[in-house]
Amino acid sequence: MGLTETYSEQELVSALKAKDDQAFSYLYDHYSGSLYSIILQIVKIPEVADDVLQEVFINVWRKMDTYDHMKGRLFTWMLNISRNASIDMLRSKSYQNSQKNQEITDNVYGRDQVTQTSIDSIGLTKFLGKLRPEQRVLIELAYFKGYTHDEIAEIEDIPLGTVKTRIRNALLQLREYLK
Amino acid sequence: MNVQEYILSGIIESCVLGVASPEDRAEFEQMCAAHSEVRSSRHAFEIQLEEKLLQQKLDPPRELKSRIFSKIGMEKEQDTRRIPLKKPTLVPRAGFAKYVAAASLILLAGSVLLNLYLLNQYKKTIAQNKDLIASQNQVAGANQALQTKMDKYENDLSLMKNPMMAIVKLPAMPGSPAPSSMATVYWNTESKDVYLLINLLPKPIADKQYQLWAIVDGKPVDAGIFDLVDGISFFKLKTIPKAEAFAITLEKRGGSDTPTMEAMYVMGKVTG
Repeated sequence: MGLTETYSEQELVSALKAKDDQAFSYLYDHYSGSLYSIILQIVKIPEVADDVLQEVFINVWRKMDTYDHMKGRLFTWMLNISRNASIDMLRSKSYQNSQKNQEITDNVYGRDQVTQTSIDSIGLTKFLGKLRPEQRVLIELAYFKGYTHDEIAEIEDIPLGTVKTRIRNALLQLREYLK
Repeated sequence: MNVQEYILSGIIESCVLGVASPEDRAEFEQMCAAHSEVRSSRHAFEIQLEEKLLQQKLDPPRELKSRIFSKIGMEKEQDTRRIPLKKPTLVPRAGFAKYVAAASLILLAGSVLLNLYLLNQYKKTIAQNKDLIASQNQVAGANQALQTKMDKYENDLSLMKNPMMAIVKLPAMPGSPAPSSMATVYWNTESKDVYLLINLLPKPIADKQYQLWAIVDGKPVDAGIFDLVDGISFFKLKTIPKAEAFAITLEKRGGSDTPTMEAMYVMGKVTG
């Protein structure tokens, strides 16, 4: 327990690869909040986000061997696992059914209301608000819904090249925003 | 597109966030591998993103952590149990596969035994080889010593065979401290070199040395001092141009200017 906050990225990665419980506990304490927030921004429903977060951490635990620090930071890796798991969830039958129920019982869960407002004020969702509408739509479709460039070109009825350029330009603004 | 343009194109950001096309991602990996500028730009963006997102947490429900850890605990247990669990699944797969499995186990066991046997043999052979090398070295050493000795003997013999060599026998004189003493002087009448053959002389005590004298015009002249060394009984001493006789006395170590007469062991006259 005394070890919290003392891991460097490298130490953390090798401890995780060695399946060290304490390192994993640190990882959870340190990153679960941010990942949970991204997951919530995609799946919107807290109960679903709980399940996705659980799946994400179990996958991180299982797949730690395949993490390659040369290809990016640990957080980036986990962020992408979280986003992919969230998008998979969006597309699952069970989610789509629950989504219908959600619309009906929307007011039953007080928790959702609170979370929805907090989601809008944080992270990448907040950044979306700063984009021009035609860019915002594309980032929403690409990042938060997981559509491919081809699919987006079709949905929005714009050329593929335009999709690519708009997404890239939007992300360059993100870089500025992060500074 | 050059590297700088590539960095400013937005591809790095879209790849890090996972919204790039597969072609872009493939190109990105190559660019990362080839250009450190691309890598450091990626790294900088990753850090910025991470810092921003780490500030913006939404706490998941408290019980979620223990739920995840108990799942992981179960996985760990399964991992450790996995090996014994696999065994029973082999049993219902009866018939051929079973025999193949059994046969391969037997082969494996056989191979292990064979390997152990071969390893053992190998170790034995190495040890034997070591012994052989050691004894071969010993033989070679002994051979070398013999060769050196032989060379010396051959050399001595050719000196003795020299027709110019005058031979002066030095028997024990009456009153000699060792009455069975005997030596022989080989005197090259051409070069005037004097060689001494020790036939029999007792070993002196440590602080004494034998000295050969040449008697020239009735006076003793030092012809060299010598020790008795095992295995060396023929050696060269001083060059003596002229002598009527030779004698050996035992002197203090380093020799004397005049011989100690009572310690005269042998003496012989030059004939002809």
